[in-house]
Amino acid sequence: MIFTRSQLPSAMRRALLVAFACFGLAHAAWPVTVVDDLGRDVTLSAAPLRIVSLVPSHTETVCALAACGRLVGRDTWSDFPHEVRALPDVGTAFAPDLEAIVALRPDLVLVDEYSGAADALAPLGLVVYAGTPQRLDEVFGLIERFGRLLGAPTEAALLQGRLRGELDGVTAVVANRVGPTVFYEIDPSPYSVGPGGFIGTLIALAGGQNVVPAELGDFPLLDPEFVVAADPQVIVLADAPYGVDAASVAARPGWAGIAAVRGGRVVELTQEQSDVLSRPGPRMGEALQLLARILHPGAF
Amino acid sequence: MGSRPLATPLWASLGVLGLLLVVAAGVGSVPIAAGEVVAAVGRGLWRAVAGPTAITTGLDAEATRVIDTIVWQIRLPRVALAALVGAALGLAGAGFQGVFRNPLADPYLLGAASGAGFAASLAMVSGGVFGLGALGVPLAAFVGAATTVALVVALARRGWSLPIVPLVLAGVVVGSCLAAGTSFVLLAAREQAAGVLTWLLGSLAFASWGRVGTLLPSVVVAGAVLIAAARSLDVLQLGERAAAQLGLRVEGLKLAVVAAGTLATAAAVSVAGVIGFVGLLVPHAVRLALGPDHRRLVPLSAVWGAGFMVLADLVARTVIAPAELPVGVVTALVGAPFFLLLLRRRVAP
Repeated sequence: MIFTRSQLPSAMRRALLVAFACFGLAHAAWPVTVVDDLGRDVTLSAAPLRIVSLVPSHTETVCALAACGRLVGRDTWSDFPHEVRALPDVGTAFAPDLEAIVALRPDLVLVDEYSGAADALAPLGLVVYAGTPQRLDEVFGLIERFGRLLGAPTEAALLQGRLRGELDGVTAVVANRVGPTVFYEIDPSPYSVGPGGFIGTLIALAGGQNVVPAELGDFPLLDPEFVVAADPQVIVLADAPYGVDAASVAARPGWAGIAAVRGGRVVELTQEQSDVLSRPGPRMGEALQLLARILHPGAF
Repeated sequence: MGSRPLATPLWASLGVLGLLLVVAAGVGSVPIAAGEVVAAVGRGLWRAVAGPTAITTGLDAEATRVIDTIVWQIRLPRVALAALVGAALGLAGAGFQGVFRNPLADPYLLGAASGAGFAASLAMVSGGVFGLGALGVPLAAFVGAATTVALVVALARRGWSLPIVPLVLAGVVVGSCLAAGTSFVLLAAREQAAGVLTWLLGSLAFASWGRVGTLLPSVVVAGAVLIAAARSLDVLQLGERAAAQLGLRVEGLKLAVVAAGTLATAAAVSVAGVIGFVGLLVPHAVRLALGPDHRRLVPLSAVWGAGFMVLADLVARTVIAPAELPVGVVTALVGAPFFLLLLRRRVAP
């Protein structure tokens, strides 16, 4: 075959790209073994091509590693990116439809470490990775591990770099600003988040001062009086999709006098925003930007 | 001899149970033709006899492997576990209702459920007990249930006798205490709360042959003790004093029945979580349909309990597939109206 002068470079480039991609998939030091959060060795003898994810953030991470097309099944709550909604729904990690999962013939199943799904799936002859990141640094670790498992180390490095850049970009902007005090409400009990967990860390990075002290744990149930006494300047309602709004917060006994209520800084999150903030995964840069815009409305 | 009145309903019930088992093994979220299910069962049995051999089928090897896995490692253990759990709860319910002479007694009356729940939630939150991994939670639940009932019995006993009213009261009080403890664990460890709640509601989703194997001996032992005690339970219905005057060793009987019922309950709860209503409903259904004779009541409660659980689990895993209803919700939703129907039929004429 003869190439014209103008065709040659692009054709060669394409051929080289394909060759590198194939090389990456076929020769990236298989078999690969990583250790999951249950301390089990997860070994793959070749790049997985039929992946089932039972965790929404795992689904997002696989897709962010440009492997969305290798997913063949998802859990009920996996809804991002939008194309995964077309995949077969195989239940939730706590009540997985085992036979539907087996029938999909997956070569890798991604689950969390708490639900017991790993104990149910591994004896069926499936390769199972069990574990979810709870902190920012664990997200980076998970991306690296998934990069190796999926034979996509380059994509993993790129994704880590992009996330690092997004996080650094926000922290640079908020660095010299005094952030407001924040109360983040998960449900109207009220449950909130401590500074040690994923959302708490994002709040701190975004320059907010969480009114919840660390010693109460990652998901404390608070006395409403505590919130009134703490007098936060911003209230973030992650429970807004479930019917809580600024008006109902203002109507709670004693809450009308809270600075956030008086100053009109009670923020109602949408379902999608709430998902972004609660899924430790490739959208955490977006999550931090969202929080920073809420806490520093003038800066962005 | 008591075998004649038992034989007909027992064989009929076993026949219906067998049919239910077959139907339940044939139905699931993945549609597999009945012939394929039967063929898969045959292949599994053949391998068990002849060792691992290649078997040629009309399907390709991969499809065959998938069907074999679904039938042998998912459906059959699940159906078998459902049947055993139902049998255990039916047995325990019949025993407890007989020994307490109270129609409201159920297997969880002496705190077995709350004890198991508390121990299991602690085990789950602390990440498996002492590194026992998958074994940790069932073991913790079993020990929790058995210890709780032992504590209740110890609190209620007067010397060597076991008065019923203090026993029930102690069961209620200790049970409430432990239920509060479970709630506290749930609040304190929100991250694992969903897993703990799923377990507390009862589920057969994670059935395996291993769990079937751990449950079977307890059910056999409890069943043997309770069936042996059936005639004595009949005598006990005359009242403790009258039964004692007839020569029955009342305290020994009570202790044996409570121990056997607790063994069955603890074993069932440890593998399937807390599934309500079965132990209460099934003995009543048997009693309303066939009369109060314990020589019928005890074995038939086991068989009917097994059938009821298989049916309830079939509903739980198919109506909203791929999602699953907690099987305890189904036992209550299916059981309550059925129970009322039986009750009305009994009262009406």
